[in-house]
Amino acid sequence: MSETLLEVENLRTVFHTDKETIHAVDGVSFDVSEGETVGLVGESGSGKSVTARSVLGLVDDPGVIEEGSIRFRGDELVGGNWDQHRGDIAIVFQDPMNSLNPVYTVGNQIKEALRIHQGLRGSEATEKAVELLEDVGIPDAARRVSEYPHQFSGGMRQRAVIAIALACDPELLVCDEPTTALDVTIQAQILELLDDLQREEDLGVLFITHDMGVIEETADRVNVMYAGEFVESAPVDELFEEPRHPYTRGLLASIPGRNAEGDRLPTIEGEVPTSTSEPTSCRFAPRCDYAFGACEEVHPGRVRVGDVDTDHEVACLLYDDTFEETPPEGGVEAHGGESA
Amino acid sequence: MSRAKYLGKRLLMAIPVVWLGATMTWFIIFMGPIDPAARLLSEGQVRNPAAYQAAQTQLGLNQPPLQHYFDWLSSLLVFDLGQTWLLYQGSNVNALIMDFLPRTLWLGFWSVLIAIFVGVPLGFYAGMRSNTVADYVASMGGIVWRAMPNFWLGIMLLALLGSSEAIFGFAWETVGPDLLTGISGNPDLTQLGTVDGFLRATKKVLPAAIVLGSASMGNEMRIGRTAVLEVKNQDYVELAKVKGVSKRSLVYKHILRNALVPLVPIITSEAFLLIGGSVLVETVFGINGIGYLFYQAAIQGDLPLVGTLMYVFILMIVGINLIQDVLYTLIDPRVGLEGD
Ligand code: SF4
Repeated sequence: MSETLLEVENLRTVFHTDKETIHAVDGVSFDVSEGETVGLVGESGSGKSVTARSVLGLVDDPGVIEEGSIRFRGDELVGGNWDQHRGDIAIVFQDPMNSLNPVYTVGNQIKEALRIHQGLRGSEATEKAVELLEDVGIPDAARRVSEYPHQFSGGMRQRAVIAIALACDPELLVCDEPTTALDVTIQAQILELLDDLQREEDLGVLFITHDMGVIEETADRVNVMYAGEFVESAPVDELFEEPRHPYTRGLLASIPGRNAEGDRLPTIEGEVPTSTSEPTSCRFAPRCDYAFGACEEVHPGRVRVGDVDTDHEVACLLYDDTFEETPPEGGVEAHGGESA
Repeated sequence: MSRAKYLGKRLLMAIPVVWLGATMTWFIIFMGPIDPAARLLSEGQVRNPAAYQAAQTQLGLNQPPLQHYFDWLSSLLVFDLGQTWLLYQGSNVNALIMDFLPRTLWLGFWSVLIAIFVGVPLGFYAGMRSNTVADYVASMGGIVWRAMPNFWLGIMLLALLGSSEAIFGFAWETVGPDLLTGISGNPDLTQLGTVDGFLRATKKVLPAAIVLGSASMGNEMRIGRTAVLEVKNQDYVELAKVKGVSKRSLVYKHILRNALVPLVPIITSEAFLLIGGSVLVETVFGINGIGYLFYQAAIQGDLPLVGTLMYVFILMIVGINLIQDVLYTLIDPRVGLEGD
């Protein structure tokens, strides 16, 4: 088993506004190991981007990491210790149009990272920058290196952002919706590129997206996020074959092409609520087709389901033995049901 | 399109602007309801047909309008600006402008500079520390300062400096270079080459420059603050942070240069206002600048001189615009390249 890079434990990130306190991330835990891709999936507003920003130490006022632990190779980062691991964790943002500083050349921005993390300067740095641009598939890199971001197309910019990430020589790559803003064909190319790089460098990847299709292709393990919580976590195959949480089922049912019967895609009505207080019920209850009495009164804890070694957890009262209600159709049943 | 080509294009585009401005000025002055020739003569002379005729001939008003227009325009073009009628009667206008203009430019130079060097850093400072006490103090101060009218501020400042010995315990005249000719009045620009002469001339216009620049200072502060707030949350700043760029480099390299982009047009448009504002301030501080000259020419009805000065103002404004374009190309690589 490869080494664990990132350990996040019971992370709570809140935003204090004048009126209320928003619990954007409400007690999530996950690990990322070398060479592993951990997916974080959910609708917009579910807290997945805030989770990424928390991991990167980018949460600023009025947001604050209120509780929990983020460890990188065992070193606690919460409390402002990101500086000692800067460069070890790199990021690819959603919008390549905004990820590059418009007033500096692409080469300048790659070389900045090379200087900080690999101590390269001058022509040595330029050579390396050209090499990195070639690695991420930018043609004519020797000329491109001295061009400005606005001279690059969207897909090219995202490649350049990845080149910057690589220049930091990272161990963990956080991808926050890296393909959402791109055309479908370019999306596929970028995903392929990320996949190649991950294998070459044995990177750990935290992959954030709202797109179940992309998750199926990239992730090894998936966490489904809803209203700041992980409602289901499982290895990718297990999750797609035997989804347990009604929300996960809803997400899977809304992937085009997955659902044979009927010509209209089912959707989940409503939207993610903003959590402003400690949960006293299931936060998905208002949108849940299977909700029953207890769902309004008890906040579901995480329950282990499936085979012992699959590490499949779900936070839904249907799988909690203390309640009478059983999981819905499809023959999916709770195995064991030992509380996690 | 290269930057040089862009600047060349801007230069060419300035030509019709100057032409249009000059033409409108000619139309208003010579085709307007007031007969410039009659206006230039005293009560007695108007009734003297010979004197009136002579004035008309001198101004070329007995020619067909079109001919007069071309003559007037071509003499402006070669800076053959003729002589004055009422103000400093019979002096050469070129010499007059060469005498008055440097004082205004000197005053304008310092007021623009003071506004930039106080307003912009203060705005950036407030923006970097948004919603802290320091920000509130700086922002409030900026608004109050901006709200004080020029002429009032000028009088108050003169009153304070005039009795500085009694109020502050030191005399403004004798701090640093001596101002033997009093705290207000014309700066002596003949000795600018020497250190002492430079300091003396600077100190002389300093109060006037502070007053003239006060509104711009407040504006630049406000815009600077907003610009920093906007830039500091951009993805590329966060990307740089994740890259491990030092705090200093983050601020000076990544944030400030981008925040300067929206400030350029503000600074240059403030420079336009200085031309109008200098009339008031030059009057209060007793500086015989071109604003003062224009004001005198206008109230005394020396219309040919008014027209000529209008032309000088038009050239100044177009010149400032060109400086703005140069600044743009220096700060923002995107300028001139969009839409290719
Ligand atoms: S706990 Fe109840 S409301 Fe929540 S997902 Fe499960 S069944 Fe639905």
